Amino acid sequence: MEPWVVATSLIFLYLLATIVLGVIANQRMTVDMEDFLLYGRRAGFVVLYLTVVATFHSAFAFLGSGGFFYTHGIGFWAAGTWTLLVGAITYVLGPRIWALGKANGYITPADMLADFYESEAVRVAVAIVSVVFTILYIQVQAQGLGYIINVASGDRISFELGTLILLVVAAAYLMAGGLRAVYWTDVIQGIWMYVAVWIGAMYLAYELFGGPLQLWAEVRAQRPDLLSLPGPEGFFTPGMWIGMTITLSFGIIFQPHMMIRYYTAVDAKTLKLLGATTPIYLMTLYVPAALVGLGGAVAMPGLDVPDRIFPELLFAHAPPILTGVILAGATAAAMSTLDSILHANMSVLTRDVYQRYLAPDREQSHYVWVGRGIVAALLVVGYFLSVRTFDFLVVLVTLSGSGALQLMPAILGVCFPTQRTLTRTGVLAGLVVGLGVLYVTLVVIPHPLGLHGGVWALLFNVVVAVGVSAVTDPPTQATRDRIHGEVERQIYPETLS
Amino acid sequence: MSQERKSHFVPRTPEGRAAIVAFVLLFLLAMPPVTHRVLDRPDTWVGGVPFFFAALFIVYSALIGVLVWAWWKRI
Repeated sequence: MEPWVVATSLIFLYLLATIVLGVIANQRMTVDMEDFLLYGRRAGFVVLYLTVVATFHSAFAFLGSGGFFYTHGIGFWAAGTWTLLVGAITYVLGPRIWALGKANGYITPADMLADFYESEAVRVAVAIVSVVFTILYIQVQAQGLGYIINVASGDRISFELGTLILLVVAAAYLMAGGLRAVYWTDVIQGIWMYVAVWIGAMYLAYELFGGPLQLWAEVRAQRPDLLSLPGPEGFFTPGMWIGMTITLSFGIIFQPHMMIRYYTAVDAKTLKLLGATTPIYLMTLYVPAALVGLGGAVAMPGLDVPDRIFPELLFAHAPPILTGVILAGATAAAMSTLDSILHANMSVLTRDVYQRYLAPDREQSHYVWVGRGIVAALLVVGYFLSVRTFDFLVVLVTLSGSGALQLMPAILGVCFPTQRTLTRTGVLAGLVVGLGVLYVTLVVIPHPLGLHGGVWALLFNVVVAVGVSAVTDPPTQATRDRIHGEVERQIYPETLS
Repeated sequence: MSQERKSHFVPRTPEGRAAIVAFVLLFLLAMPPVTHRVLDRPDTWVGGVPFFFAALFIVYSALIGVLVWAWWKRI
């Protein structure tokens, strides 16, 4: 059988499995917003672990990271720093957000921020940032899916058609089963992508070089420029290292699809264990990516699109069945992130826009159906965004992360009680200035002085937020006592007993 | 009734302080200038792996160890 037939068939088999899970999830679902949007706040450790890691690692981890090692060399091992920060942030922040969500019935990040800062303007601003910057992320994942199916089919299925098929499947199981379907499919996707990337990398290392150590030796002999900083193209400067560490940790955690996961945990202990252990998965996935990217630079130099190095090597050197299994894993990596972003955008638009301003006080089932309609609309928007541009995956991810990063002062103001509280005027001013600086430092003058634009924007944001908060009215004492008191009870229960 | 709250940015227990200090110090080993001035030694290899890669893997593993220790101690 032709290799492309095997590879494409396995991907479609995998897609069929996700649809079946979506249907089963639908049968378990109750027509209730908390169930549809938050898994009923009942996610245990295993499900939460696999959905968080599968959502964090996307098409970027499977394709973009190999491409980055291929182009910029060993400096991309900086990836470990942001995976470690993701664990630490989850450990420290997760239980606080969980406790507030449970106590106050929050569903979206904007629920929490608008409640604390007592401001509808904050709600609208957060909802806009959440949607605008994660729609970019839909584009990244959908493009990754287009790449994969296009390569797997040997150009027989076009990039555009492949993107459409996979977007439709993700939207279908999301509409059928809500977040429960997303979580269940993420369990399969999280396991599949991890096993696939390791098996693929090790197979290629042994097939092409005789083993991982021989691979390193060949890179040393043929491409020593890939083994030092800042890399062949001078990319990994200290400023870029620090910037990517911050934007790809805080910036991704503060995106709605990650923050909503904190609301869904069954308890706070689960979130602490999650924070302590997620870096094991997240960090070690970059080890095989290094083998693929660096080994690929030796075995297959001169690729026009470096992101394609993994599938190109598989097609050239691996048996069809293995290639199919691994490309289905790549599909899983992209879909697990895509479905979560679609879900988060659906939640924000349903909860923060439709229910809040357009049609309050309707039946729960009404909002569930509206949410499904919004997913269909997002599918159309995501598809057109995806087929219009075609760029280097990681740059888009960084841009997305930098936008959500600007929510950081506002979120920390809610979750970390201090003597001086930020104010609604302060966080709004900081957010506006931060987004303006972000545009300048990413688009007009990219990364001034070698420091990542997202970090410049955050610095200006914090200074403005703190400065304006010093001269404007804080939230009422009653609100601060209610919300910060809940955080105090959760984190330091002994002080209140 | 309003309450004066202690900052949540400062850990309140000895074990909490130890975890924060250990994490921050280890994390600094994985950041510039250490990465660019100390760990960037393309001519040094450890067990067939570039020193840079091996050293950061050890630092990352130690950071995971700190997080797991914090969880184990219920910090």
